[in-house]
Amino acid sequence: MGFIDRLRSRTGRRDREDRSERSRTDGQSEEPQTDGQRGELRTDGGSDVRTRGGLSRLKHSDAVQAVPFWLPPALLMGWFVYGAVGWNLLISLTDWSGLSQPDYTNLTLEMYTQMPNDPSFVAAFRNTVVLLVAFTVVSLVIGLVLAILVDQNIRFENTLRTIYLLPMALSFVVTAIFWSWMYNPSTGTINVVLSTIGLDFLTMDWIGDPRTRLAAIIFALTWQFSGYAMVVYLAGLRAIPDSHYEAAKVDGAGSLRMYWRVIVPQLSASTTSAAVVLMVFALKAFDFIFIMFGDNPGRSADILAVMMFRVAFSRTQWAYGAAVATILFLMALSVVAPYLYLQYKRGDL
Amino acid sequence: MREDSSVSRRRYVQLAGGVGVLALAGCTEDEDPDEIDTGNGADDADDTGDSDSEGDLEIVHWWTAGGEEQALNALLDGFEEAYPEHSVENNPAPGGAGAAIDAAIQTRVIDQDPPSTFQIWPGEAVRPYLEADALESIDDVWEDEDAYVDGVIDAAAPDGDLVVAPINIHRLNNLFYNVDVVEDAGIDPTDAENPEDLLDLLEAADDAGYVGLAQQTQEPWGILQFWEMVFLGQYGADTYEQFLAGDAESLESEIADSLELVERISEFHNEDAGTVAWDEANADVITGDAAFHHNGDWAAGEYQGADGFEYGENWEYIPFPGTEGIYTMVMDGFVYPANNPTPEATEAFVSYCTTADAQERFNPHKGSIPPRTDVETDGFPPFLQDQMADFEASDEQTVTISHGSGLEPARADQVQEAFAVFTDNWDVDETTQELIGIF
Repeated sequence: MGFIDRLRSRTGRRDREDRSERSRTDGQSEEPQTDGQRGELRTDGGSDVRTRGGLSRLKHSDAVQAVPFWLPPALLMGWFVYGAVGWNLLISLTDWSGLSQPDYTNLTLEMYTQMPNDPSFVAAFRNTVVLLVAFTVVSLVIGLVLAILVDQNIRFENTLRTIYLLPMALSFVVTAIFWSWMYNPSTGTINVVLSTIGLDFLTMDWIGDPRTRLAAIIFALTWQFSGYAMVVYLAGLRAIPDSHYEAAKVDGAGSLRMYWRVIVPQLSASTTSAAVVLMVFALKAFDFIFIMFGDNPGRSADILAVMMFRVAFSRTQWAYGAAVATILFLMALSVVAPYLYLQYKRGDL
Repeated sequence: MREDSSVSRRRYVQLAGGVGVLALAGCTEDEDPDEIDTGNGADDADDTGDSDSEGDLEIVHWWTAGGEEQALNALLDGFEEAYPEHSVENNPAPGGAGAAIDAAIQTRVIDQDPPSTFQIWPGEAVRPYLEADALESIDDVWEDEDAYVDGVIDAAAPDGDLVVAPINIHRLNNLFYNVDVVEDAGIDPTDAENPEDLLDLLEAADDAGYVGLAQQTQEPWGILQFWEMVFLGQYGADTYEQFLAGDAESLESEIADSLELVERISEFHNEDAGTVAWDEANADVITGDAAFHHNGDWAAGEYQGADGFEYGENWEYIPFPGTEGIYTMVMDGFVYPANNPTPEATEAFVSYCTTADAQERFNPHKGSIPPRTDVETDGFPPFLQDQMADFEASDEQTVTISHGSGLEPARADQVQEAFAVFTDNWDVDETTQELIGIF
């Protein structure tokens, strides 16, 4: 059955109410038609429909009947999102720069071929990949550990959950500014705490030193988003029946072994969905870096999103900026597409 | 009963939706209705005479906080007094000292829908607009060209025609210092005759237990503007102009030398230079932790805002060592965009910006000096009066890369990137080659 049918059966009661109400207000003429529809739905097409010909079948197909639902958003998305993506791709094939109109007559891949020779692009690409992988993995691990700890029927569970999730509600602008205060090598919290507990040798010029800059940014972002991973994992943990825990205990597994062999493998759906969202956040770390360093963060913290802005708006090299944007889009797509495919295979879509 | 509750729920949703729509409508009502009426100004009671056919003067700028906002309001008040027939639609694009305005203006210029006038740095910053024929000459509306020094006229007319009306000038070649700190360290800043001498001063301050030079390296413009001053101080204005003209290759050894000095001076920065903004670094001078600070004279605004920190008593400045007689200008100005929606109002406004009245109203609030040299000094604080005297007596005026006027935006941003790398690795050779490679 198609989605309309499922929708109908799910809202069956309301449907009947609506219909009786409508027949009261609209008069009798409505009655036979709705009855016919309902009868048809019950028989579910079959040979009867085929004999009536293509037009009628088309008219009664789910896709056509659902037109009012999917067409307006599809048009809006198609124009504003995919239209813009397509136009961006087109611009990246020109050599548009400056403040005059682009010239679409001579389309080449020149903007893409010059990328590997641009040290600025190479650095930004490398940093983006490092940020993407490190931030996602660390956030997932921390989120999982937090979720398992919070799931132990402890006191103040709700409070703790809120505390861990709260940083996500803050804007990047806010967190960037107060992390740069905390990272201050002479007065910042981090170095002050490290030297009070006798770990002076660990104090560093965290975001001044190019060697630790990217790591410092990743740490701050992890702090902000591991709470999100925790919530996703917590939902996953709650979905696992108690019997699995009990069975593992009966079989003599210790806690560590039980989680590693029985529980964590069942969280793969949570892992993929949290990972996809986190990776997309990582690609959007623009605000955080732009607030700290402006549009020139240096080779050690430059990411593609910042480079795109710099090239397009500070240098008016629109075509090159569009090419960088396309690369960024492909990276996001390579993260999201396998996930969507997986969901499709699993029948969740 | 069930049906009752369902109906009331529906009613509730309808009501909530209605309230939402009303709220949205209420929000949009703030939009200036005049905008829709453009071209039909007769509806507007304020409009009289010539401007009947025009809308308001839409002015886009990034002055939205503190003294800057006061300065702009003073300017607009003066304009409306002088030209009561024109009214102003103030449309700020704040953020990032011009980073946000770029995006807003550039797209509008490409779409041939520019505002009446917008803020921009004079000099090479207008190059992309000139190449797109997006600016009209303002030769005819400019009042008294004689009241300006040559350096200002050159920056206002990058291609020979005047296109930007400068409204203010900040000076970049200042070296500010805390008087108590230098006295305690036993040094006399006026001894420094060239940038190398500065190194001795900083060493002495460091020996006395102070931070030598309060600096920020988090964003690259701090070191870029410092290098510009060192280069200017070491080799003079002509060599610096040669670099701006694109002849970096034959200046290889000079560039390398100056970068090396900048690198040696970086040893005397505050420890947290890589993590702070310029005003946080500058606060070290006010608190007496640091001896010197190099910056544009907007840094003086911080001193004037600090309690019990007086000019001449607690803080002082000298021209950056080696740049005496030079006035390094950081200017803002307004232009007359082509395809102008309000030609008459824009002409009036640009013309007004070039008058002594406009510059006298604007600059005391902004903490800058007027581009004209015939403006009364009475309304200015003592520090700015000294700067105005320096400006009038200056032999040469130069512009800067770090603040837009020196190089066209694409090149200037590449120079910024080179210095972002320099503050990471302090590699003199690499940065020298990078700078040469830009041209």
